Amino acid sequence: MIYDVIVLGGGPGGYIAAERAGQAKLKTLLIEKRALGGTCLNEGCIPSKALLSSAKIYHNAGEYGAQYGVHFGGVSIDQPAVIQRKQKVVNTLVNGVAVSMKAAKVEVVNHVGKIKGRGADGIEIEAGGEVYTAKNLIIATGSRPATPPIPGLEEGLKSKFVMTSREALELLEIPKRMVVIGGGVIGLELAAYYGTVGSEVSIVEMLPKIAGPTDEEISALLQKDYEAQGMKFYLNSKVVRIDADGVVFERDGKEEKLVCDKVLCAIGRKPVIDSCGIENLNILTRRGFIVTDDSCKTNAANVWAVGDCNGKSMLAHSAYRMGEVAVNNILGKRDVFRGNAVPSVLYTNPEVASVGLSEQQAADAGIDAAVVRLPMAYSGRYIAENEGGNGIAKFIFDKKYKTLVGAHVMSNYSSEFILACGVMIAKEMTVDSIRQIVFPHPSVSEIIREAAFAVKL
Amino acid sequence: MASYVKMPQKGLSEDSAILSKWYVKEGDEVKKGELLFAIETGKATFDIESEFEGTVLKTVGAEGDEIAVKATVAVIGTPGEEFKIEEAPKTAASPAAQASAAVPAAAKAAAPAARSAAAPAVSEAEAGGPLKISPRALALAKRKDIDVRFAIPSGPGGRIIERDIEAMLFTGPFVSEAAQGIATGEEIGTGLGGEITTADLSAFDDVKHSNIRRIIAKNMHDSLANMAQLTHNSYADATRILALRAEYKASGDPNFEKISLNDMVMLAVSRTLLQFPELNAHYFDDEMRLFRTVNLGMAVDTPRGLLVPTLMHAEKLGLPEMSAALKSLASECQSGSIDPSKLKNATFTVSNLGAFGITSFTPIINPPQTGILGVCNIEYRVRMKGGQPEFFPTINLSLTYDHRAVDGAPASRFLQALAKNIENIDELL
Repeated sequence: MIYDVIVLGGGPGGYIAAERAGQAKLKTLLIEKRALGGTCLNEGCIPSKALLSSAKIYHNAGEYGAQYGVHFGGVSIDQPAVIQRKQKVVNTLVNGVAVSMKAAKVEVVNHVGKIKGRGADGIEIEAGGEVYTAKNLIIATGSRPATPPIPGLEEGLKSKFVMTSREALELLEIPKRMVVIGGGVIGLELAAYYGTVGSEVSIVEMLPKIAGPTDEEISALLQKDYEAQGMKFYLNSKVVRIDADGVVFERDGKEEKLVCDKVLCAIGRKPVIDSCGIENLNILTRRGFIVTDDSCKTNAANVWAVGDCNGKSMLAHSAYRMGEVAVNNILGKRDVFRGNAVPSVLYTNPEVASVGLSEQQAADAGIDAAVVRLPMAYSGRYIAENEGGNGIAKFIFDKKYKTLVGAHVMSNYSSEFILACGVMIAKEMTVDSIRQIVFPHPSVSEIIREAAFAVKL
Repeated sequence: MASYVKMPQKGLSEDSAILSKWYVKEGDEVKKGELLFAIETGKATFDIESEFEGTVLKTVGAEGDEIAVKATVAVIGTPGEEFKIEEAPKTAASPAAQASAAVPAAAKAAAPAARSAAAPAVSEAEAGGPLKISPRALALAKRKDIDVRFAIPSGPGGRIIERDIEAMLFTGPFVSEAAQGIATGEEIGTGLGGEITTADLSAFDDVKHSNIRRIIAKNMHDSLANMAQLTHNSYADATRILALRAEYKASGDPNFEKISLNDMVMLAVSRTLLQFPELNAHYFDDEMRLFRTVNLGMAVDTPRGLLVPTLMHAEKLGLPEMSAALKSLASECQSGSIDPSKLKNATFTVSNLGAFGITSFTPIINPPQTGILGVCNIEYRVRMKGGQPEFFPTINLSLTYDHRAVDGAPASRFLQALAKNIENIDELL
């Protein structure tokens, strides 16, 4: 069977590509061995939000609620019920993807797909014993949790003492003591959940700061918030070994050991490209990622790679856009993936959202920048709803063009309004225009308006 | 009383220097011996220390400015004190320098003026400039904030009429707000919906020449304009020098372990030149100056550009001494601390591009010298030995010489003799 487009992988990059291709009346096949929705829907973005949502209710019902004059009694967390609800959310969304595939007339094959090479009619892909032929191939194989060669890690994973993010979202019992290796986005979100629902959580991070590329000042504030809630952070610490009862790490040249009941290994993700047969098309890779241009095209004719497997931006929403970029190019419409206004969000409590350049990146790019730093207390709604909150917002403006080039906010709801900053950046709106926008009042998003009037250009 | 820090004169021929870095700013307290600023002359970089104690009252000039020798660069005294900076005598900048300065200035002036959308083109139209546009079209453009320069004229005589502006409401080019008035419409838009963004604006920077760049440009051009230069390419069997280097490296002897192939070639050049005085010479219109000593220039790539330090009396140095001396000259050039007097008086020059895999090139002679040797990469060649083909390593050599001073045959003889000396390097040790 010959298809206009075959998509390898049913995660955010793959299913959106398939849906858009189907909507454009291209004969489209989506190959996915596991559940549709990929990491994002099944074991990433969505299930972690479901868990964190339970944690937030639990948190608010405790001492925090009392600060608002609301007292609850007998509050407890029912972990199996939390996991069950999470699964319901996941199932709803996975079914939703299946429905949209059907609506877009995309065929779905539930098998592992493997590229065989080029045949007379196109690129041949084998799945479940059948061979399918593609005029255009979109590789969207995603990524999996990285498991570096730490002594004891493999044994730990086997005995289930060590978890990746996948297992941490399935845990039916809340561990008493938990060590999280890696203080990046994934590690922090899961640490936030288990920390809130009662685990003693320690985070071991190799870098001198948590939260990956997040603004340093905001990372430090977030760390302080979580320390106040009882979480422990071990920075500049390199894990040397995992024992049967804990994690051994090295800090300042000295070995230390944290005894615990569970370990979460969350030190990043690596692309899944080793078994899908890309070598049969001589597709170029660099450091394990498929190399693509800004239209997500690989070196091989009519082959595209979108999402985590090309390493451009390992975020579900970037994958969506890349899937669309690939399909547009297949349809002959020139389109490129632009990375300058991709928001990223840390769904901790409080949330941290950012888009565009950090202060340092602006300086490195030679931009004459004006930085506006505002406490979130500038927003009335923030004060009303965040008892004891210490959130901040930082906005980076380009003095030459009088535009916003970066926004970094630590505050709840920032995940929802950071998009406004993304649009301002992508459209290169000038400060004069931003000042003319009417913001809803009271809303936390008004902080953007405050910044636009505070900036001196 | 306020003290005035003047631009020092670092060489007899310098009438100005580039102020390359400020270490202090106005209002800073300084003590004697503290660094005030750095300057860059044609030859090297110097840090200027304060001879005075007090507060920096005034700094004159920005980083990158060329400032005349003896002009005031900074004033040091007590806050509130009065001082007066005399107008510096204008340096006679070369025409090239003036031209290069004029271009970015004009471009910069244009950019801010063009900042508000459509303004420049509209005023140009009103002024009866080259743009022909009907009043109705102009009015519509002003109303809709459209840059009329992008309009495709369809009126009689190439005149922009109302429908051309109307068409632009739907077809663009679409320019982001920040790029409006700056974009020319030639750019490829990469913004949302193909909008031209500031990132798409013309992709070049205007960088002022450093003093050293100006000097290199002038010398190189003079050399090629005034001489009859040509290049011969040859090679030498490198078996021995490669073996020796490996031996030295493994020796662990600090005097020998860092000796490079280039050091050995320099040694061979210094000895060979003694037999070819017309290549170890300076050429003048009426006469040649033939040197009895070999002062070997060595081209060094530095962050600031090409520098050519001179190894004096190279013919008298043994290999370890030569190697050590060359390394120290190179590192002084790299750090920018080299004494300008060490950058002259060469009688012949060697330039080595072998590390970059260059197989042959045409080095340019440093006037008034008569030759320059380009040392290239190591390459394996085949020769017949006892009826059998044999691979052997060679080092490629490119000799540029001034045919006014030297004829082709003697130049070739020099290369031949040099190749022999490199092959039999042991005889020179």
